[in-house]
Amino acid sequence: MKNCISIIIQIWKKISWNKLFRGIVCLYLLSFTSCKKEETSEFTDSPIIESYLEPGNYLTVKISRQIPFATSVQYSEDNLNNLTIAVEHNNTTHTLTSLGDGNYIDSSIIVAVGENYNLSFQFNSKTVTAYTYIPTKPVNMTQSATEITIARVDSSSGPPSGGFTMPDPIEINWTNSDGSYYLILVENLETTLDPIRDFGDNAPPGNRFRKSPTNLAVEEIRSMEFQYYGTHRIILYHVLPDYATLYDDNSTSSQNLTNPSTSIVNGYGIFTGLNSDTLYVEVKE
Amino acid sequence: MFFLFIAQKTKAQKEHMFNSEGNICYIRYTCYTQNNNYENLKRPFIFVIADEGETAQEAFEKDITKDLPQFYNYMFVYIPNRGGSGIEKLKCVEALINLLTYNYTYGSANLFLQVNDKNIKQSDIESVHLNKTFKNVRLVEKTDSTGQVVQSNTITEDFKENTIAYDISSEDDDDDKYGTFYMEEDKKTDATQNVKAMKTYFGAPQVFNFTLTGVIKDRSTGEALPFASIQIKNTTKGVSSNADGYFTFQKVPTDTTTLTVQYVGYEKMDIYLTPMVNKKNFIIELNPSSQTLQTVNIIAVREDVVLSKKEDVSVIKMTPKKLEQLPNLGERDVMRSFQLMPGVSASNESSSGLYVRGGTPDQNLVLYDGFTVYHVDHLYGFFSAFNSNALKDVQLYKGGFESRFGGRLSSVTEITGKDGNQKKFNIGGDLSLLSMNVFAEIPIGEKFSSVIAFRRSYKGPIYDKIFEKFNNSSSSSSSSSQPTGGPGGMGPRQQEAKVTSFFYDLNGKFTYKPNSRDIISLSIFNGTDKLDNSTSFSAPSFGTSSSNFSISSTDLTKYGNIGSSLKWSRKWSDKFYGNTILSYSNYYSDRDRSTERTVTNSSGEENASSSGIFENNDLKDYSLKSDYQWDLFNFSQLQFGVFGTYFDINYTYAQNDTTTVLDKHNKAYLGGAYLQNKFKLFKNRVQFVPGIRTSYFETTKQLYYEPRASLSINVTDKLTLKGATGKYYQFANRVTREDILSGSKDFWLLSDGNSVPISSAIHYIGGISYETNNYLFSTEGYYKQIENLTEYSLRFNASPGGVSYSENFFTGKGFARGIEFLVQKKSGKFNGWISYTLGEARNKFDVYSDTYYPANQDVTHEFKIVALYKYKRWDFSATWVYATGRPYTAPSGAYSITLLDGSTQDFFTVTSKNSLRLPEYHRADISANYKLLKGAKGDKKRREIGYIGFSVFNLYNRTNTWYKQYSIEEGEVIETSVNYLGITPNVTLSLKLR
Repeated sequence: MKNCISIIIQIWKKISWNKLFRGIVCLYLLSFTSCKKEETSEFTDSPIIESYLEPGNYLTVKISRQIPFATSVQYSEDNLNNLTIAVEHNNTTHTLTSLGDGNYIDSSIIVAVGENYNLSFQFNSKTVTAYTYIPTKPVNMTQSATEITIARVDSSSGPPSGGFTMPDPIEINWTNSDGSYYLILVENLETTLDPIRDFGDNAPPGNRFRKSPTNLAVEEIRSMEFQYYGTHRIILYHVLPDYATLYDDNSTSSQNLTNPSTSIVNGYGIFTGLNSDTLYVEVKE
Repeated sequence: MFFLFIAQKTKAQKEHMFNSEGNICYIRYTCYTQNNNYENLKRPFIFVIADEGETAQEAFEKDITKDLPQFYNYMFVYIPNRGGSGIEKLKCVEALINLLTYNYTYGSANLFLQVNDKNIKQSDIESVHLNKTFKNVRLVEKTDSTGQVVQSNTITEDFKENTIAYDISSEDDDDDKYGTFYMEEDKKTDATQNVKAMKTYFGAPQVFNFTLTGVIKDRSTGEALPFASIQIKNTTKGVSSNADGYFTFQKVPTDTTTLTVQYVGYEKMDIYLTPMVNKKNFIIELNPSSQTLQTVNIIAVREDVVLSKKEDVSVIKMTPKKLEQLPNLGERDVMRSFQLMPGVSASNESSSGLYVRGGTPDQNLVLYDGFTVYHVDHLYGFFSAFNSNALKDVQLYKGGFESRFGGRLSSVTEITGKDGNQKKFNIGGDLSLLSMNVFAEIPIGEKFSSVIAFRRSYKGPIYDKIFEKFNNSSSSSSSSSQPTGGPGGMGPRQQEAKVTSFFYDLNGKFTYKPNSRDIISLSIFNGTDKLDNSTSFSAPSFGTSSSNFSISSTDLTKYGNIGSSLKWSRKWSDKFYGNTILSYSNYYSDRDRSTERTVTNSSGEENASSSGIFENNDLKDYSLKSDYQWDLFNFSQLQFGVFGTYFDINYTYAQNDTTTVLDKHNKAYLGGAYLQNKFKLFKNRVQFVPGIRTSYFETTKQLYYEPRASLSINVTDKLTLKGATGKYYQFANRVTREDILSGSKDFWLLSDGNSVPISSAIHYIGGISYETNNYLFSTEGYYKQIENLTEYSLRFNASPGGVSYSENFFTGKGFARGIEFLVQKKSGKFNGWISYTLGEARNKFDVYSDTYYPANQDVTHEFKIVALYKYKRWDFSATWVYATGRPYTAPSGAYSITLLDGSTQDFFTVTSKNSLRLPEYHRADISANYKLLKGAKGDKKRREIGYIGFSVFNLYNRTNTWYKQYSIEEGEVIETSVNYLGITPNVTLSLKLR
């Protein structure tokens, strides 16, 4: 406000050279309201939905809130554990049961292939909706090899002299006639992890890795991607486009703020159906 | 001839004798000067012939004008009345003058004669050819009841010093060879009118209702003055000169009519027609008002730096000559100066492009000598690409513009370059803390003139300040919150930046006038900005590994314009005028903000990869157009023309060396014609301009019709009502690429009729202005409806996987409305203006919102004061600008999602589109310029050869926010306010030969 006064004084000093203009300026100053306005940050309390619908499982949904950047933000009155979440399926509406921590379940629904699911609930005076369906199980999933041999690498002795031959990658094939999105996840099933490489000072990587979603019918798993010896499970997920967008390179780039395009209205997150098939591969020394 | 010189000192005056007693030319005359300097001849002389029976001494004592401060440096010479006939009384006067002025050393332009004897007639003066000797002769015929000579109010104007004339040899005074006489006009003559006494003919008119054609020029340089107004004195009847300075004035009532000629930045001038003047190629020469250093009686000398045109709707005119009076940031800048007028936003230091009435800079057509300039920014927009040393005239049409302009939705800036001094070689230059600027004007013979101006920035304090502002955004407070994950472990690595950045521009214009009908001119413009902030970092092999690793970070932005036009103007007849322009304009922008990583492994193989932003925009415009004007009747001027443009616009945007986000190449022809008519009805009280423009666009294979009309009514001489409406199409648009994190950018694209549709607007404008000799009160309201706006945003995934980025163009609509007020004091030592604009610009893009939201350029209140004050050789000015903050969109929160592999992915949410406002913008600037003069101190009026200017930008060091930048590091959002310039002083030294 002190600033405002000084501005007004400055205007006045400039004006005083001509009485003629004073009247006009007075009128203007009366409507000079924007001086008092402080910058207000707008934050909309929209819910975050997380739900993967997989055949054979119960329908579960997790609701959470965004973390606002501004400090003085008011959340809506809604209690995350006390929402009335409805799922419409086969023309029947089910109300989900709260499990606490924003988790909800309906133990009367077992998710099934090809079925549609419509979610709706009230949050922050708006109706939040989402829908999805369950895609088909991957068909004709094959692997080029059931085992792969990788030489152990000791970084303290430098790269092996004379070079070494890279094992051929494992190629996973499946049928994809409609350009659907697929995602491969590889998981080491051993209880004790036996690293292929010495990780030095770095934290050891997890026992899982994934490939980017693809709408092709083939994916290669290269030997370099394996971190540990032992039995690995290869899960091929048949996912919907909205899940695929979560992996979009742009989503965390500093050049834009892309929100995944989902079926969710008045909210964010993911509510998507998926289906999977599994193969196994053995990594040997 | 034998003569004697005897000086007798009586007070300050000196009595002398010319010849000896008994000689036929024996005259006892008295000299007097206020400054007591009797040596200097480079001064005006006033010769006074005494009344019947008076001696020189008596005439001296009686004269009350001799001590007027205006005549401080004048030499008064009192000549006794020797009786006899009129001719006898004037005998030997010529010889005396010849003596006293050493044979007219400095010409006769500053010799004046006051005749106090009413028996001396004009015919007497003519018979002894004194009319050729003197610049002005004042005869006294009128006496009041007591027989006292009536002193004219306008003697100071009649006998006004013409400083320029000192440098013109007496041969050059051919302009004045008819001599100049002045007889007292009727007493009603407005004392405030700055009448230049030029009346030379007192006989009866010989021709009635004739057509006068000619050209209006600058007296000192011979430069033609475009869009100057020429009117029959004390009426509203008049015409304007065209872009080449030519005018055709039909139905001038008589050949003894008085005309008033005005041009912003020049002295208003009255022209007394005589039967002798050339009616076909009449040359009117105006004096630049800045050259007049007099301190009194400048009431009606127009001092306006900018002028709101009375008869045209929403037109502002400016002469670059006067720009130096406004505060500047290193460069006098036409675009910046327009931003001080109502309806043109002033709160964007980072854009020299004009935001006119809620429009964006790309909706403003910028024509420079006939070719379109697509990008007018230098150095991030802090300066415009136009070197004011190369400019002659600038007009801004804020809306409702005529059919002869097209291809833009909002406004037109029409810039005319200087032709160059047609009389004398001239050279000059400016040096400021930002740049160096030199120009040369070279006439070759009578028919060829040229001007070349070059400007280049150097790494002076202002340049560095602006450059750092853009490249070092950590200069302000940042706040962060931590939505997910831990804080980032690594701080930013300090790297050496070797910066090579500059801008330059070059203007050239070559004009050839083979005859009085044709003008051929070639205009060339080239401007380039190179902004380089690259760094490189390399690491030698580490550990036992023998591989080298280097990162080079490139931050190079290079952009510029190359444009050229070849123009042929021809005056086919008195009533038919046309010009044809062949032009080429190219705008290119290359932005490379990337990091290249090179790894050289032990076997010497290099593996390089780049990532970042690669942006390239290249626009080429090849145009041919012809414009004609045909003065059908005195109340009707038909204007028509044809135009054709071939556009070739490319844009590519890549994020790394393999991923091209967007790659657009569009080429198309645009052709068409227009027809408009300027009607001046009811004794010129009503001006009505209906028109239609039709365009054919190759891409869409459609015709586009743009009907337009404007109307202005002079209700009284002072009160004018105005209105305009029209339809406007735009085929090449600058599309905004929304970028919430690092500030939105835009790029030029040609409409493809599909994802980037052809935008259109309808304008409705109404206004009132009240103009007196000293003040202008003006208000205008506008409403603009805009369809088919395009924005590009990567914020929305049109398809999963983000494969088809070309789908990320979004189409919307918008409107802008507002009301503008202007109060301007046009003249006097103290002048300036106050303006206020209440505006609203709203857009609606379905992808952002289902309701209208504030457009990026929306400014609700904008208030501007400009005050100019002249004191002796100083020009002072102060400006203050206040504007509501602009809207912006910001990240508002974050959330994370657990993926199928158990990892989490962070996402960010943003506020609804443009729902936040930056803090209000305000800023004061001041400046003081001291004129540098050439000549001895005794001469009160000396030629101006430049100035030293001091200015302070952002006087009270207000922190104005440019935009907000966000970076997401390790799940943290860091907000940074990128601010505009703080207090920035500047010194400019400007010199010119003439």
